[in-house]
Amino acid sequence: MADTYAQLVNSGPGRNLARKLGLPQPAVLRRYEPGQPLVAGPVVVLGDTAGADKLAAELLSWGLDVRRHAVPAEKLGAIILVLDELGHPADLEMPVLAAAGSLRDLRAGGRVITLSRPAGEASTPEAAAARQGVDGFLRSLAKELRAGATGNGVLLADGTTSTSPSALGAVRFFLSARSAFVDGQFLMVSTEDGALPEDVERPLAGKVAVVTGAARGIGAQIARTLHRDGATLVLVDIPGAGDQLAAVANEVHGTALQLDITGADAGRRIIDHAVQRHGRLDIVVHNAGVTRDKLLANMDQARWNQVININIAAQLRINQALLASEHFRSSPRIVSVASTSGIAGNRGQTNYAASKGGVMGMVRASAPLLTSNGGTINAVAPGFIETDMTARIPFGVREVARRLNSLQQGGLPSDVAEAIAFLASDAAGGINGEVLRVCGQNLVGA
Amino acid sequence: MSTDGQSTPAAEGSPRASVPATRRAVIVGANRIPFARSGGAYAKSSNQDMLTAALDGLIARFGLQDERIGQVAAGAVLKHSRDFNLTREAVLGSALSAETPVYDLQQACATGLETVVGLANKIKLGQIDSAIAGGVDSASDAPVVVSEGLREVVLDLHRAKTLPQRLQILARLRPKDLAPLAPGTAEPRTGLSMGEHQALTTAQWKIPREAQDELALNSHRNLAAAYESGFFDDLMTPYRGLTRDGNLRADTSLEKLASLKPVFGRNLGADATMTAGNSTPLTDGASTVLLASDEWADARDLPKLATVVDAEAAAVDFVHGKDGLLMAPVFAVPRLLARQNLTLADFDYFEIHEAFAATVLSTLAAWEDEDFGRTRMGLDGAFGSIDRSRLNVNGSSLAAGHPFAATGGRIVGTLAKMLHAKAASTGRPARGLVSVCAAGGQGVVAILESL
Amino acid sequence: MTLAQPVILAEMPSLSKLYVNAAAQAARRRLLGTHDSAVLPAESHEVRGVRVGVENLTAYQHLIGETASDVLPAGFIHAIAFPLAMSVLNRDDFPLPLLGMIHLRNSVQQRSPLVFTDVLDMTARVENLRGHRSGTQVDVVAEVRPGGSGEVYWRGVSTYLSKGVFLPGIDKPTAVPPRADFQPPDPTALWHLGVDTGRAYAAVSGDFNPIHLSVLSAKALGMRRSIAHGMYLASRALADVGPARGDSFTWDVEFEAPVFLPSRVALEIATEHSGSGSWKHSRFVAWSPRSGRRHFSGTVAAL
Repeated sequence: MADTYAQLVNSGPGRNLARKLGLPQPAVLRRYEPGQPLVAGPVVVLGDTAGADKLAAELLSWGLDVRRHAVPAEKLGAIILVLDELGHPADLEMPVLAAAGSLRDLRAGGRVITLSRPAGEASTPEAAAARQGVDGFLRSLAKELRAGATGNGVLLADGTTSTSPSALGAVRFFLSARSAFVDGQFLMVSTEDGALPEDVERPLAGKVAVVTGAARGIGAQIARTLHRDGATLVLVDIPGAGDQLAAVANEVHGTALQLDITGADAGRRIIDHAVQRHGRLDIVVHNAGVTRDKLLANMDQARWNQVININIAAQLRINQALLASEHFRSSPRIVSVASTSGIAGNRGQTNYAASKGGVMGMVRASAPLLTSNGGTINAVAPGFIETDMTARIPFGVREVARRLNSLQQGGLPSDVAEAIAFLASDAAGGINGEVLRVCGQNLVGA
Repeated sequence: MSTDGQSTPAAEGSPRASVPATRRAVIVGANRIPFARSGGAYAKSSNQDMLTAALDGLIARFGLQDERIGQVAAGAVLKHSRDFNLTREAVLGSALSAETPVYDLQQACATGLETVVGLANKIKLGQIDSAIAGGVDSASDAPVVVSEGLREVVLDLHRAKTLPQRLQILARLRPKDLAPLAPGTAEPRTGLSMGEHQALTTAQWKIPREAQDELALNSHRNLAAAYESGFFDDLMTPYRGLTRDGNLRADTSLEKLASLKPVFGRNLGADATMTAGNSTPLTDGASTVLLASDEWADARDLPKLATVVDAEAAAVDFVHGKDGLLMAPVFAVPRLLARQNLTLADFDYFEIHEAFAATVLSTLAAWEDEDFGRTRMGLDGAFGSIDRSRLNVNGSSLAAGHPFAATGGRIVGTLAKMLHAKAASTGRPARGLVSVCAAGGQGVVAILESL
Repeated sequence: MTLAQPVILAEMPSLSKLYVNAAAQAARRRLLGTHDSAVLPAESHEVRGVRVGVENLTAYQHLIGETASDVLPAGFIHAIAFPLAMSVLNRDDFPLPLLGMIHLRNSVQQRSPLVFTDVLDMTARVENLRGHRSGTQVDVVAEVRPGGSGEVYWRGVSTYLSKGVFLPGIDKPTAVPPRADFQPPDPTALWHLGVDTGRAYAAVSGDFNPIHLSVLSAKALGMRRSIAHGMYLASRALADVGPARGDSFTWDVEFEAPVFLPSRVALEIATEHSGSGSWKHSRFVAWSPRSGRRHFSGTVAAL
């Protein structure tokens, strides 16, 4: 249960009152559990292109209940709009209005997904207008959806199709409860790289993953989620958190590596440990991070440097070691934890936002360096997530902050972990240099 | 040659050839919890709790969850009678497979080192492929012994059949019988405490106060520097909120140490030199060491830091003062080195347990003494001296503290890591000597070699 | 118009005061007659920033037979959340008398480990008022989160029976489920519970309910002797399952015949492993070796 407020307005008398007073009514989000159905009902695939046909056929082969046209009054699990051949904004009319007619039949926790082309690659102004139009359309629709339903888009770069491995991977992620707190976001599929997992319940089977900052909070949750998905784990945290780190390591049957990631040889030690103990290294999740909030006028050297060193300089240094290592060349994955503070800014967090903005810059610039080995680097930017760190925010500010998104609630560490697990998987091999926000479509800094 | 001591066999012509060929026992790594001052962070924790915490950290470091280890051996010096199966209970409470066999061992302060030696020997003989050696002690949660009078009354009461019999037995109780007896570190045969024994030895070897304080200062400085450099990052797991040894005083100085009043040997008058600063305090803690055959370690992709080459135990006749209580290593080391055809110059590091600063200095003094070498060790002269810059370079018991049975594991883990690093940086094998003295006039010493 | 806000308590309520208040409430109800309402209070009670005393934790761990690790035992979390749960039952608008309620069932989800340095936020509420063949039962739900986090790490549902209390509008279940005959299996353990077992658990859990403390105090409440705390028994069974359970698991127990003190309790723990050899679940059942009556049974299962 997310918070007491959410509980309250979802229980009998509280719900009625909240409705009357016009207070936000956050839905209880459907979250992933192994073995649950991918979607909560039939999936309508709208669009008349070859891409739409192929996607519908693929979804059928997953065992989904696929419709090409909505059946009146039938409750739906998801609506997918395949918009991969738009030439003019007028081309939006048919699929969009067809979707409009089905929106009322979308179940609680339902999904709307668009597949479209990036505007920057369009050959005509008309096509670019149509493509960019999808962006505005989807983000607005996401804000209209209720009851935990979300809307997200897949962007298909030139050379990719609706059934490219990572397009399917992204569709699967957005359809599933793994993306519960991802809303109003686009994810670009830039290449044909990637492969769908043999076992969808264990997409990381056989992989060795390193998670930094794994003793607590989001890091520990990332470790649990990657372990659930089949990965073997190396858990890194500072020596002072060693007892909690050992507890997490023994829980997920991984190995604990007590290490200060700001050390000059941290990258080498991480690689050595993973390779020596587990024979390989496939995934590195840069999660370790700190906040040392102060208005800039009151900022001191220690606060500034500590945040920059831990949150971004250490990642840069470790990535250098990773990129230079012969052990990190078989479709490697780096996933960094950024923050919406780094996108929209946050009062009192000039140091933190600079470091997290830095993470996003690093991810974009590093992406080309990994492609030759089939590797990727991406970031996940959490919005308001209920953690120890956010618990330090004053109560009033926190209450407001957690409502300021389309889902009207804070996310959970597991929501961040699910997005990371997806980006770390083979299915995301065609997604590179992207920043995926896990923020419930935060109203700030859209 | 006849000596009134413990002669050392000549290096050449030693009977090594008759020893059957064996395989190596390697040290994979170690883990301990920070040592706490008695009555501190672990005041309410039992030996079993601390040993389990140390084991669980080791398991987490090396991914040994659900692993069936060949054998685990550990022990405690101050042990409750209910803890007769201390190590087994700790293993059952850890993340290891419940099918891991264990044994408990008790050899006073040498317990920890002896578990390493015993288990390494089993690996060498091919009896087991993996082992965890360890030790734990709590001075805070020490067993309280009831008086002999009370003990007899309780036992007789248990045997009594009728109420009048019971009342009669109870009537024997006297108030003094109800006072508990604190666990003593006094030697049963002399009534002298360990500190008082060492004070006699200190006076015998004329170890000055300044030298003792300097050794203590180095211990603190070296340990503090080791923490600063992150040396213990992969040797330690915090417990109960403690992340560093509670006894460490990084800011101590010769002046501060010099200001302390002597606590042992005050009956010796002007010769009293041993203070709380140059003696180890009562401490709580636990340590573990993971040992393996090469095959076992390789199959699991585990690191190999060092091998356990050889070990030797010795004892001295301290009861009537022939030797000092803590001087057994003085005799054990020459015997071990002779068997291995080595001299003190062949070692990169010396780890001599600092029961008291004076213990280390008395040991070195005896080795450097011409007369002692001739008359007591059957050598041609002095046994030799060591390069002091190679002694306890990452601190020892004076700074870290000394939870009796846990000290051996602390030293072996520390030394194995140092040797491995030394060999990696110099490109040639490194060798280290461990020496631990123990109550009852015993001592155990061992040689480790880098991998 | 007032909104049913959660009641945020400044600090953990004192159990002894709650028991005194409950006794006064019981007397008041006897005098004035009960206002037979069949509606549960909608508000939850919440306490934030609860800290764990490490000495108390260690004493609890030792009494129950858990190693004193830094991880809080699931039963210990129940004990620290218990006063908060009781404070909901102690509300004037709670329709059942608190004193004399019988703990029927307890179900805990330990989703992630909590360690002693964690500062805890906890909430408790009541729900699911329903009939029982011999009275009325209700669920008390407690949830514990690490400071400020939205993620529930520990969730406990305790089902209590108010014997002989029947509320208007709440029907007795018509069909009484047949109780299977219990044949005691071969025990895997035998507990020797001394007469001070209740007092010892009260000292570490803070639950000084008189029925557990002494023969006299129990007799005052109509018991022939003092009885062991149900959660003491369940926590010992959980400890006996051992570390195979890991740090996240479910722990369910159903209480039957009370354990009068002193006594011996026989116990069987049967563990099942999955095909890959990892631990799946352990079932436990406890009975009196003298009468063969079942005291309690339950399951600890991987989450």
